[in-house]
Amino acid sequence: MSLVELFAFVLVVGLATFSEGARLLPPLQGVLVDERGLLDLDELLYLYAASQAVPGQNNMYVAGVGYQLYGLAGALACTLAVQLPGYLILPLLRGYAWLETCPTVRGFTRGLVAASVGLLAATTLGLARRSLTEPVAVAALGLGLVTVYLLRRPPSLGFVVAAGAGLALRLLLPGR
Amino acid sequence: MKADLVAGVADFNPVRRLPALEVFWIFLRAGCAFGGGLGIVSVLEDEIVTRRAALDRAEFLRLYALSRVTPIGTMSALAVAYGRRFAGFPGTVAALAGLSLPALASMIALTLAYGALRESPLLHLVPGVVVPAALVIVVAATIRLSRPILRLSPDLTIAAAAFGAVFLLGWNVALVLLLGGAVGAVLLRERQGQAR
Repeated sequence: MSLVELFAFVLVVGLATFSEGARLLPPLQGVLVDERGLLDLDELLYLYAASQAVPGQNNMYVAGVGYQLYGLAGALACTLAVQLPGYLILPLLRGYAWLETCPTVRGFTRGLVAASVGLLAATTLGLARRSLTEPVAVAALGLGLVTVYLLRRPPSLGFVVAAGAGLALRLLLPGR
Repeated sequence: MKADLVAGVADFNPVRRLPALEVFWIFLRAGCAFGGGLGIVSVLEDEIVTRRAALDRAEFLRLYALSRVTPIGTMSALAVAYGRRFAGFPGTVAALAGLSLPALASMIALTLAYGALRESPLLHLVPGVVVPAALVIVVAATIRLSRPILRLSPDLTIAAAAFGAVFLLGWNVALVLLLGGAVGAVLLRERQGQAR
């Protein structure tokens, strides 16, 4: 598979899966691991797991795939492949700008915004449910929230406090 | 009118412009957030709405909602939308570059360290520590973004219904957003000249 083919493959698969990290995995495995043998399954799963431990978007493990196959050029090509479809929002925004004065469209947008707030709350709770599986995680989050809401410090400091507390508790209390 | 349509893809409200370099910096900070898309949105809210007042919350949420219903990666779409809003086409490049850089650098580093790390417990320790910590930022941003509708109103009802549909019933996110919009189109449409 050439670099151009890899770029095109990741681009098409990304469009088909909304570029969601977990949904990208099966087609990547199917082609790169099972069909072409360009990667081991272990390597692909390691990259996917590693992407959960790094900052930013969860689909950026494709950059690791690209790097594994073609070095820096591969990493950049795969990054471009998952990011370029973002430009497809521009025609949507242009169309919306034309229709925005219509009362029905304004109502639609207001409903969309309200629903997105509910969605944010649901996604936050979903993330909490998945990640707060141990008492140390709950304790760390609690300390972070105390930092923000009782001590009135910025959320970024709350993150640092929670991460530090979580790490300390895990090292001091292994198995909890 | 024509100049507005050509120059402003989403200029339906007066826009505060930002230099492309500042857009890059904002998205670089967002790209350093843990917690995936939620973490990124939380940092963007803090940087764009709270610190710089470059957008009001309603506009921030509107662009976020539109990017969620677009059948492409939400964060990429968001970067293009906000980047375009603040700094035109150069802003889109700056936003995507800033957003991608931290993860790109991290993934290259971890790929190079594959041999040493693949059996290491550190790989599983880090998500267990940073994701719960990232929840602090995410919770704070969710509360800030929810405040405008936390009063008895049709908007709160739609938000509550959307929450239930996604969290309790597991409905498709894009479908829930579109349904919320459809309900809003019927129940929340404004008559001509009515104040918002």
